[in-house]
Amino acid sequence: MTALATTVNVMHHAFRAGLADYRAIFTWKSWLAGWMVRVIAQVAFFALLGERIGDDQKTFYLLVGNSILVAALTGVFSLNMTTAERWAGTLPLLVASPSSPIIVFSARGSYLAVDGALSALAALFIAGPMFGMDLPWPRVVAVVPLTALVALASYCFGTFLAGIVFRFRSINSLVVLTTHVSLMAACGVNVPLSYYPDALEWFSRVLPVTNGLLAIRGVLDGADPATILGDAALEAVVAVGWMTLALASFNQLASRGRRDGSLDYGA
Amino acid sequence: MGTPAVEIEELSRVFEPRKKPPVVALDDVSLAIPPGEIHGLLGPNGAGKTTLVKILSTVLLPTSGRARVLGHDVVDETKAVRPLLGIVFGGERGLYWRLTGRQNLAYWGALYKLSARETKARTQQLIERVGLAERADERVETYSRGMKQRLHLARGLVGDATVLFLDEPTTGMDPLAAREFRTLIAELRDEGRTILLATHDMVEAETVCDRVTLIDRGKVVATESPRTLGQVISRFQRIDVEGVDAAVLGEIRALTGVSGVTEADGGARIEVDEEGATRVVLGRLVDAGATSVKTSLPSLEEVYVQLIDDRGLEL
Repeated sequence: MTALATTVNVMHHAFRAGLADYRAIFTWKSWLAGWMVRVIAQVAFFALLGERIGDDQKTFYLLVGNSILVAALTGVFSLNMTTAERWAGTLPLLVASPSSPIIVFSARGSYLAVDGALSALAALFIAGPMFGMDLPWPRVVAVVPLTALVALASYCFGTFLAGIVFRFRSINSLVVLTTHVSLMAACGVNVPLSYYPDALEWFSRVLPVTNGLLAIRGVLDGADPATILGDAALEAVVAVGWMTLALASFNQLASRGRRDGSLDYGA
Repeated sequence: MGTPAVEIEELSRVFEPRKKPPVVALDDVSLAIPPGEIHGLLGPNGAGKTTLVKILSTVLLPTSGRARVLGHDVVDETKAVRPLLGIVFGGERGLYWRLTGRQNLAYWGALYKLSARETKARTQQLIERVGLAERADERVETYSRGMKQRLHLARGLVGDATVLFLDEPTTGMDPLAAREFRTLIAELRDEGRTILLATHDMVEAETVCDRVTLIDRGKVVATESPRTLGQVISRFQRIDVEGVDAAVLGEIRALTGVSGVTEADGGARIEVDEEGATRVVLGRLVDAGATSVKTSLPSLEEVYVQLIDDRGLEL
């Protein structure tokens, strides 16, 4: 088998393992009746705030931002991946296998990116018409890959955080929540980037969501394609950057685990 | 002698927890295991067994010393070592519970770089071998502990490992399942695989191991075959006797080298702790007309207790 085929094979199985975890949490019925209802309620809540405090423009701004944020929030849940591996006691076995655990971790939670993109798009396409938002056809089709890109970038970011918080299991949930709130506050979800000080705007540009969300708003507002593509390219760069850092963090995790004995196994 | 399957030279590992004194988990351990041997690693909890297995498995670095698996250094040549190893540990962890048994094996087959066709064939073969064929397509979370252990073993074999590290593999298994598991381990040895079995189960070590290493507080106390270890302290023989009266037992109790006489159910157990004392005691019992006399060597468990508790015993 070629190295590429081996890698793809490992990623396929890792994806399937992740998906099995997800299926234990959700069935199609509970996903639709539980998760999606919650997501649409969340988006509707912010859209209603927009209606109360302003006009259609504010309503649609909040509606789009909070719909796309769902992709990010879901992707960031990949942070729980290492906790799952640790609980399963499989991490040292992964490290001791002939394949790199990094390959596993790059794919293990990728179902979350798929789930995030689907949830965000469903929220946008359901909540949008509910609040009278015009989704310009056929331009709106471009929102689909851009939302997938945001979900992917967020997954990469969550995977990076997973490598970092591995050693601090007790703060895992805190990091998830803090990350969610930070993305909501800093990525132009509820207020335009121009409201932020310059330093914070630059910071938000290296976070997932920000650039992709600008591209999506551009598509819906009819911005010129060059601007949209520029923002999309930046989101892709952010995704690659966070995944590179994620791989480095897992490499570091394995090396440090070998040094200090933190790769536990056994009953 | 060819290349040992496992070769350990003056291996030490010191853990340095924050704000606590350093813990010496392994202290100058040396050991060589030839190919095709089942080698038991015996010791109480915290003796250093798991630390040693971790180092050999390439998931922990030693503080000093060297360890090689089939000639490859476990620190510097991990890429060469890892495909040769199978790691199996006891307990509930180490499996993906939400996958089926078959999916677990396929996953690990991928990690061991098997092609899809190889994985499918190997998975089926292993599932049948460990007796999980009927439940292979059910989620692992529905398996009993014994089934999980068998799946652990199959997972350890999915890469066709030459050297297997088994760390307390029968922990929590019922006696029948543990016996079947040991039979499997013996079969693996017969196929030429080398097995390092870390356990504190004396019966397990005595039943399946060709040699055992007793380890305590990170140090090797002894490395011998279970039988040889028994003979080392053969002077600690036991004599079970029936049909002698209390007066004779009183005389025997006073003999040199007799460490104890315990009377029970019309008989008695006489324990000796000096070479030659057994012969004297037996002579006296025969003269006294004993109806039944039986001598026995100490079990490995008794050897273990003697060696771990009585550091003055020279080997």
